[in-house]
Amino acid sequence: MKKYYLVARNTWDEVLTYRASFVMWRVRSVIQVLTIYFLWQVVVPPGKALLGYTQPLIATYILGTLLLESIVLSSRSYIVGSEINNGNLMNFLLRPINYFAYWFSRDLGDKAMNICFSIAELTIIFLILRPSLFIQTDIFYLSFFIVSIILSIFLYFFINFLLGLIGFWSPEIWAPRFIFITLLGFFAGSLFPLDILPDTIYNIVKFLPFSYLMFFPIKIYLGQLSFMEIISGLMISAFWVFAIYGLVKIVWMKGLRSYTAYGK
Amino acid sequence: MMTGMVSQNAFVSRFGAVLFLIGKLIRFSFFMFFLLVITSRTQAIQGYTLWQVILFYLTFNLIDSVAQFFLREVYRFRNYIVSGDFDYLLTKPVPVLFRLLFGGSDVLDIPVILLSAGFIFVALSNIGSLAVGNLAIYLLLLINGFMIAVSFHILVLAIGVLTTEVDNTLWLFRDLTQMGRFPIDIYQNPLRSIITFIIPVGVMVTFPAKAAMGLLSFNAILISLFVGAIFLYVSIRFWKFSLKSYSSASS
Amino acid sequence: MIISVSHLSKNFQVHQKDPGLVGSVKSLFARKYETVKAVDDISFNIEEGELIGFIGPNGAGKTTTLKCLSGLLYPTSGKISVMDFNPYNRKPEFLRQISLVMGQKNQLWWDLPATDTFLLNKEIYGVEDKKYNEIVGELTKLLDVKDILKIPVKKLSLGQRMKMELMASLIHNPKVLFLDEPTIGLDVLMQKKLREFIREYNIRFKATVILTSHYMQDVEQLCKRVIIINFGKIIFDGLLNSLVEKYSPHKRIKVMLAEYADPKQVYKLGKISKFEYPELILDVPNKKANSTAAAILKNFQVEDITIEDPQIEDVIAKVYAENKR
Repeated sequence: MKKYYLVARNTWDEVLTYRASFVMWRVRSVIQVLTIYFLWQVVVPPGKALLGYTQPLIATYILGTLLLESIVLSSRSYIVGSEINNGNLMNFLLRPINYFAYWFSRDLGDKAMNICFSIAELTIIFLILRPSLFIQTDIFYLSFFIVSIILSIFLYFFINFLLGLIGFWSPEIWAPRFIFITLLGFFAGSLFPLDILPDTIYNIVKFLPFSYLMFFPIKIYLGQLSFMEIISGLMISAFWVFAIYGLVKIVWMKGLRSYTAYGK
Repeated sequence: MMTGMVSQNAFVSRFGAVLFLIGKLIRFSFFMFFLLVITSRTQAIQGYTLWQVILFYLTFNLIDSVAQFFLREVYRFRNYIVSGDFDYLLTKPVPVLFRLLFGGSDVLDIPVILLSAGFIFVALSNIGSLAVGNLAIYLLLLINGFMIAVSFHILVLAIGVLTTEVDNTLWLFRDLTQMGRFPIDIYQNPLRSIITFIIPVGVMVTFPAKAAMGLLSFNAILISLFVGAIFLYVSIRFWKFSLKSYSSASS
Repeated sequence: MIISVSHLSKNFQVHQKDPGLVGSVKSLFARKYETVKAVDDISFNIEEGELIGFIGPNGAGKTTTLKCLSGLLYPTSGKISVMDFNPYNRKPEFLRQISLVMGQKNQLWWDLPATDTFLLNKEIYGVEDKKYNEIVGELTKLLDVKDILKIPVKKLSLGQRMKMELMASLIHNPKVLFLDEPTIGLDVLMQKKLREFIREYNIRFKATVILTSHYMQDVEQLCKRVIIINFGKIIFDGLLNSLVEKYSPHKRIKVMLAEYADPKQVYKLGKISKFEYPELILDVPNKKANSTAAAILKNFQVEDITIEDPQIEDVIAKVYAENKR
C-alpha cells in the first residue's frame, strides 16, 4: 500500500515543481467559473427564482462546480495514452505494480493539490463577493452527497483511462479527448444546472454518464432530489462505473495482447 | 517506406483535425442551444433579447476563430524559443513579428468562421439592424477588435521571449476573452471596467455587437478605436523591448 | 542454467500499404499484412553469473530477443525459461528478480530527484530499509554519484541520467539484468565508466547480465561470451576469443623500415599486404606472428614494429559478410 502512497506524494511534489503553471491553471479555472457565476447572477436576480433555483441556490451550484471540478475532474491519467504511444508502458509491465492503481494514485495526488487550492479560492471568492450561499446541514443529504462523489471519481477515472487506451491502436489520442471534454462542458453541468433543459432532453441526459460527474452530486447537496431520485441516480451512476470498468478491462486486455505481440 | 510513413502520419493528423473541427462545431451548436434555453426561460438577459444575446456570442466567436485562424503560429512559439529556432528566425529577412503572427493558418478553422459569419447575418436581420451605417460601424469595430486580439498575441509573444512561458499566458488570454461570450454588462463593477478598458475584452467583442444594435454612442466608438490603437502601440513597444533584452541576454 | 531458450521464433505482422492518401484510405478497408521474422528459431542457454553480449546490426533481432526474455513480448513459437519461470506470465515473483534497462526509455520521475524514484522502487519491490541503504550506498560509491542524487532528473546530463536509471533498476538487486544499448548516445569517457560499473556489478553481486549493444567496445571489454544475431538467426555463439580465432586467424604486423630493403628479401617473409617503403604491412597467422616479427628484426634495419590484434569491428563485419542471407 505504501507504494501507492508514494506515487501520490510524488505526483504532489511534481505539481509543486511547476508552481507557476499550476497557479496559472487555477487562475484560469476561477475565471471560467466566475464568468458563469456572473451570468447566473443576472439571470436569477435576488428575490426571484428560475425553475426552483433562487439566487443562493444557483450561486451555491455554480461555485460548487469549482470544488467538484477539483475533486472529480482533476487528473493525471490523461497521460496514459501518450505513455502507451511512446512505449513507456513497458516500464510498468516489468515491475510488480498495478498499472490501474498506479494511475489512480497519481490522480489522487493531483486531486489533493487541486482541492487545497479550490478551497482557498472559494474562501477568497466568498470574502470578496459575499454571495449568500446555501448550506446543507441534513446529514442524510450530506452522506449521499459523499457517496455520489466517490462514484463520480471512479466514473471519471475509468472514462479517462478508456480514452487513453486508444493509444494502443492510434497515435491520435488528443482529438477524441477534445470531443469528450466538449461534451463534458455541457452535460456535466458546469455551465448550467441540467434540469433547466427541456424535459425530453433532460430525461435523455439523465441516462448518460456525464451528468453524474458534477450535476448529480451538487443536486443532492442542494437537497433538491427526492429519496427515490437519489437512489435511482446512484444506481445509474454505479451502473456506468461498472460498465465502463468492464469495458476498460476488456480493451486493456486486447490492447495489451496487440502490444505484446508487436512491442513498441 | 519513408513516404508511406509520412503520408500515413499526415492522414492520421488530418483525421484528428477533422475530429477537432467536429468538436468545435459541437461546442458551437451546444452553446447556441444553451443561450436559447436560458433566454427562453427568462425572456431576456440583462434586457437583451435572444437574438441580441446570440449576436454577442457570435461576435465573440467570429473574432476568436479569425484570430485562431491567422495567429495559429503563436501556439507553436514555445517550441521555437525552447529549441532555439527563434534565433534562426531572427536571422531571416522577413520581419520576425510578422512571421510569428501569420506564419501558419489552418484551413479547418474556415468552416467555423463561415458558420459564425452566416449566423451573424441571420442574427442581424432578426434584430432588424441591417442598415448600412450600423453594418459599417460593426465591421469597423470588428477589425478594431481583431487588432486588439493581434495585440494580445504580440504581448503573449513578448512575454514568451522574456520568460519562455507562452502556453499559460495564451490560455489565460483565451479565458479572459471567453468572458466576452456574454455581453459584458452582466459583470459587476469593478470587474466590468477592468475587462472593458484595461483588458479590453469589452471593446474587442461586446462593443461591435452593441454598435450593430445601435446601442453604442459615438463617443464610445471613438474611445474603442482609441483603446485599440493604444493597445497595439503598447504591445509593439513591449515586443521591441523584449527583443532588445533578449539579444542583450543571449550575447 | 538460469536461462534456457529453445527454438524461439517471433514474427511480426507488418501492415502494408500503398503510398499516398488513396493508399491510406484503401488500407482502412482492406489491410495487407506481411510477416516479418524478427527472431527465427534460436536456441541458447545461459549459466548463472554469466555476462553475455548480444551483438548484431540494427533490426537483427537483439531487442526482440531481450523483450521475449523479459516477458514483454509473447513468442510466436518456442520455449523460454528464465529462472524456471515462463517470462510472459510476468508473475510478481519473476518480476522481482529481473530488471530491463533500455537506453532510450526512462522510468525516472522527470521533475523529481532520482532518490524519489529509488524510494518508490524500494516499496514496489518490497526492499527492506537495511538492504536498501546498503545497496544504495554501494551503488552510489561504484557510480560516483553522491552529489547528484538530490538533483531533479531533468537537470542531469544524459550520462548522469543513465547512471540513475541503472541505479533505479538495481534497487531490488535483480538476479538477471537485461541491458539494451546501455551506452547509447554517451560520450566515450562515460561509456567507459558505465562498462566498468557493469562488470563490477556482475562480479560483486553475482548477477547474470545480458547486454545488447552495437558498440563493439562494450562487448569486447565486458563479455567473455558473445552471441551474434543477424536476420533473426544466431550466427555465432561462443567465446569472444574463439570468434577471433575462427574468423580472423591473422595478426597484422606493421613495420617502419629504417633503410631500404630488397623486395625479394621482403617477399620471403610471407603474405605482404602492403609494401611502400618505408612502410611494410604483413598479415600472418596468429601462431607465426612472433617468429615472423623476430625474423624481421633480425634481417632488416627496423625503426618501429607493432603487432596488432585484429579489430573486433573487422571481425564482426567479416562474420556478417560470410553469413549473408
